Amino acid sequence: MASLPKRIIKRLVSDPVPGITAEPHEDNLRYFQVTIEGPQQSPYENGVFHLELFLPDDYPMEAPKVRFLTKIYHPNIDRLGRICLDVLKTNWSPALQIRTVLLSIQALLASPNPNDPLANDVAEDWIQNEDGAIATAREWTKRYAKPN
Amino acid sequence: MGNVPGKLDEENAIRSGRSYSTSDTTRRNSASVVTGRAQRASSLVGTILNGRTRSDSLMHGHSSNPYKRKSTKEKERLKEKHAKELVVKFDECVDGGFLAPFGCFGLDKLDYDARVVKGLIVDRKLAPFYLPLDDFDPEWTRKEVVKVVDALPLHAPFEEDTDEYDGVATGSLADDDFDSLIDKTLSRREQRKHRLKIFNARLYKKRIAWQEKENERYLDKKLETRSGGSRAAGLLMSDDLKVALYTHGTECPICFLYFPEPMNKSRCCLQPICSQCFVQIKRAPPHFPHDEEDTDVQDEEKDPNLLVSEPASCPYCATPDFGVTYDAPEERRVGVLAPLPGTFVLSVPSRSELFKDTNSIGRRGSVPADDPTVVKSDTIRPDWQIELNKERMRLARRSANATAIHVSNQLVDPSHQNVSTHTSTSVPRSEFTPTSLSPRDLEQQMIDHAIRLSLAEQKDSKRSRNSNHR
Repeated sequence: MASLPKRIIKRLVSDPVPGITAEPHEDNLRYFQVTIEGPQQSPYENGVFHLELFLPDDYPMEAPKVRFLTKIYHPNIDRLGRICLDVLKTNWSPALQIRTVLLSIQALLASPNPNDPLANDVAEDWIQNEDGAIATAREWTKRYAKPN
Repeated sequence: MGNVPGKLDEENAIRSGRSYSTSDTTRRNSASVVTGRAQRASSLVGTILNGRTRSDSLMHGHSSNPYKRKSTKEKERLKEKHAKELVVKFDECVDGGFLAPFGCFGLDKLDYDARVVKGLIVDRKLAPFYLPLDDFDPEWTRKEVVKVVDALPLHAPFEEDTDEYDGVATGSLADDDFDSLIDKTLSRREQRKHRLKIFNARLYKKRIAWQEKENERYLDKKLETRSGGSRAAGLLMSDDLKVALYTHGTECPICFLYFPEPMNKSRCCLQPICSQCFVQIKRAPPHFPHDEEDTDVQDEEKDPNLLVSEPASCPYCATPDFGVTYDAPEERRVGVLAPLPGTFVLSVPSRSELFKDTNSIGRRGSVPADDPTVVKSDTIRPDWQIELNKERMRLARRSANATAIHVSNQLVDPSHQNVSTHTSTSVPRSEFTPTSLSPRDLEQQMIDHAIRLSLAEQKDSKRSRNSNHR
C-alpha cells in the first residue's frame, strides 16, 4: 500500500489543475495541504482558501477526507470547515481522483446550494437575503482568504 | 454453489481434450514433455478442485444454517481458512496471472468469497490476478521486459511492524492454543476483545509466513530452472509469455497500476478494471435510506426492516448492479486447465498484434446484469442477503433491549404513568401500536416482552457457554 500515494502524487503533478494546488506532507504522504482559488464571478473571487485532504487507508475504495482550514461563509460548509458534497459521501466512486474532488469543491464555491445546507444559519441567511449573504461571503473572503 | 466442482470436472475433461488437439505448442513439443505436462496439469487441477470440494463439504457441515451463531473458535477457523485462500502460489497460474491478489490489503477489504473468485478465474470468466507493474516504458526491449517481470515478487511485501498490532503478544504461531496469552484479570467482555486482538495479530503474522513460504518455493523453482533442471521447466512462465503479457498492457483507472490486457470490462460502460480493484467493490453496509438520515431519530428507534443495502454501482458510470465481463485470451491459455506456462511460445510476432486488433474490434455493447457472462459484485459476495438479515436481527434485538431497560426504569418510578407518547418512538413500529392501547395495557405488554427477551437471552448465553466448554 505504501506505493499508492507515490503514484497519486505523480498523477497530480503531471496533470495540474489551474487554481488548485495540492502538496503532500513530508512526514505523511497521505496528508495533503491544498489551496483552491475562489472561482471568478463568485463571492469568493480573489480569495485563496486553504484546505487539508487526507487519504484514508481504504482510499480509493473510500472517499478522501477534505476540510476547509480557511474560514468561509458558505451554506454547504460549516464552522469547522466540513463540506457537504455528495461525491465526498454517498456518491463517492473509486474512479474519482483527488483532482476531480478538488474540482468539485471549486464548483461548489461557484454555486452554493442553500437548499441542502450544512451550515443552517448561513443557508437561512442565503435564502432570505441573498444579496446580504453574498456581501458577507465577499467580506469574509477579503478578511480570511488573503492570497500570500 | 454446491455444483461448481462438478461442473468444473466436466469442463476440465472437455478442455484438456481440446488443448491436446488444437494447441500447436503441444505438437511442437516432444512426447515426454507432453506427458509430463499433462500429468502435472492434472495433478494441479486435482489439488485445486479437491481443495474446493473439501472446503465445500466443510462449509456445509458446519454452517447449514447461516443464521446460527458461530462460536468464537469456529469464526476464527473460518477467518484463518479465508486468509489461507489469499496466499499467491506460483503454480496456481491462469493465463499468466494468479488466483489471489497481489496487494497487501486487510482481510476486511478482501472479504469476498475466495472459492467463488478462484472458480471464476479458472473458468476464465474473470481476469486472473496479474502481477502489476508500477510503471511501464514502451521503449523497453524484450530483454528489459523479461528482467522487470522476473524481478516481480508474487505478492507485495507485507509491512512487518504495523501500528495496529504493535505490542500485541502473539506467542508461538505453531501453538494453536493461545488462551494463556489472554489477560484473565479483565472482564469477560474485555477478554473477548483481547482474544480477538491477539487472534488478528497472529493471523497477520501467519499470512506473512504463509506467503513467505510460497515466495521461497517460487525462488527455489526459479533457481532450479536457471541451473537447467529439466523437471522444473514449464512450471514457470516462458520469456515469450512474459513479453506477450506485458508489452501490451494497460493501466487500471482505479489503482493506476499497469496490468496485462485484456482487463475485465464493466458490463455497462465497457471501462477496464483490474481484478484486484473489482473484488474490493461491494455493497455499502446495511443502512437506513439516506433521506431519513437528517432526522434526529436514533438508529435503535427505527424499524429494522427498513434497513437497506443497495447493490454496488459502477464506479465509472454509476449504473446500479455493477458487474464485469472478461474475454479470455485464447492464444495465451496456459496454467490451470491448460498447457504449462513454460510451454508458451510467441510463434509469429504479429500474434499479439492480432489479438490486440480483435480485441478492439470485438467491443460489444453493454450487457444486462443477469447475462450469464457477467460477474457481478454480488456474485463474489453471495452472503450479502444473510448479512443484511443478520444486521436487521441485531438491530431488532438492540431496540428490544432498549425498550426493556426503558420499561424497567419506569417500573421503578411509579409516578411515570403516562408512557404512551414517550415510548412510542423507541418501539419497532411493527410490534406495537401504542395509540390504540391504554397506558396500563401497554405497560403489561412491554413487561411481557421484556420477560420473553430476558428468557431468550439466558437461553442464548447458556448455549454459548456450553459450546465454549466443548
